[in-house]
Amino acid sequence: MSANPIPPPARPGPDWSRLVGDSLKHHGLWHTYGKLHEARRAYPDDLSLRGYVEIIRNTIVRDFLAHPKGMQAVPKLSAEFMSNFDRFNLNAQEGYLVSLIDGRLDIQKLIILSPFDPFNTVFILAKLQAERAITVPQ
Amino acid sequence: MTAPRGLVDHLPKPIAVITESGAIEYHNNAFDETFGNDAAQWLKEAARAVAGERGWLHGFFVDSDDLRTIDVEIEGRVYRVDRIMRVNEGESPAVALAFEDVTREREAEQAKSDFTAQIVHDLRGPLSGIQGTLEFILSADTKLDTMYSDLLQEAQRESERMMNLINEILDFSKIKSGNFTVEQEPIRVAGVLKRAVRSLQSVAARDEIFLVSAHGRDVPQIIGSVEKLTQAVINLISNSLKFTPQKGLISVGAQIERKNDLPEAIVITVTDSGMGIKADELRTIWEKYKQSGTKSLRGGGGTGLGLYIVKQIVEAHGGEISVASVEGVGTSMVLRLPVKRAA
Repeated sequence: MSANPIPPPARPGPDWSRLVGDSLKHHGLWHTYGKLHEARRAYPDDLSLRGYVEIIRNTIVRDFLAHPKGMQAVPKLSAEFMSNFDRFNLNAQEGYLVSLIDGRLDIQKLIILSPFDPFNTVFILAKLQAERAITVPQ
Repeated sequence: MTAPRGLVDHLPKPIAVITESGAIEYHNNAFDETFGNDAAQWLKEAARAVAGERGWLHGFFVDSDDLRTIDVEIEGRVYRVDRIMRVNEGESPAVALAFEDVTREREAEQAKSDFTAQIVHDLRGPLSGIQGTLEFILSADTKLDTMYSDLLQEAQRESERMMNLINEILDFSKIKSGNFTVEQEPIRVAGVLKRAVRSLQSVAARDEIFLVSAHGRDVPQIIGSVEKLTQAVINLISNSLKFTPQKGLISVGAQIERKNDLPEAIVITVTDSGMGIKADELRTIWEKYKQSGTKSLRGGGGTGLGLYIVKQIVEAHGGEISVASVEGVGTSMVLRLPVKRAA
């Protein structure tokens, strides 16, 4: 037997699927990622919005791993970072990973040494690359 | 009452107009013959209870224009109760209800469901044997001809698919029969996610897909069924595997939602870089027998019950589920499960 009251119809939210698709097409992954973070502040209870953030993070990590050398690619600190690291506003996690980058450890070894889970480690590396703090030579 | 009472009086179906307090304003002859004087008593009881199975009457007065139909157990028999119309909107609202004895139909459904469960259970045994044998041959240190090796791998893939179909039918029959209960045990969510990822790691590797965990170890415990939650996550990963191309990525994450510094909920995400779901299908993917219009990359269809079962499991844990998808980019399934604390 069931007797649950009928819930009131949910207020339709924005069409995230279309908005995210358009943003990716016109502005790329990192811009869309930033915009989704802003949207999450405006729609904190929208569960699907978390999913859109994860889709972007997943795509960023996949693209980073698509490097021709894959997990054997060796990240290096960029010349810009070495000469002007104050410009880079790194958080604690990013700072920790940067401290591990010595130009010899490949991504696989960095994942092993990192205290963060593999996905987040690669995501932070991709973010550092996007901000030009590191380079991953071909 | 706007319908001519003389007509309603002689209808064979029991009909009554009942107030929110359970008082009978009107009833026809069939109602009197079926329920007699006992009706006043159980209607009062139903009106007093505001929630749960006993509080079914309240459901007919909630603010909705939808026609309400529910099954109600009255004195050992099951009645389908339909709200025909609202009466006296405003000061003393009442509803006109029609009752139909569906005890035999529900018993037949139960028997059918039990039969399905038994058959499905019997099918799993021999299939497990076939799977074990195939796994042994493929993992044994024997040099198989490529053609035989490919054929055996195909047989293994198909047996996995068949096992998934059987499990889905079994779960569905449990849901239908009302035997779908969730244990109340502490669940280490990080362990559940790890186990689910590990169980499908070899399938992902075979299809050249990265399957990774995206969560730390400090995920709080929740209360529920380890087995069912693991199954829900496995269902979601399996689904992602069907639609993710080679060199794709599937990540399984967990985030903690806090309130006043205390964990309030865990949000689990299963995200893939697959083909995505069409926007017009996003609202209906949780319905039973609903299958995506997008063709699976790994061949073969399913029962269309997988996501429906996941939703039932999540809701049985007091949680909610949502989906995000961008065509050509990927899909993310999001589960939000409350962290229950001892009182």
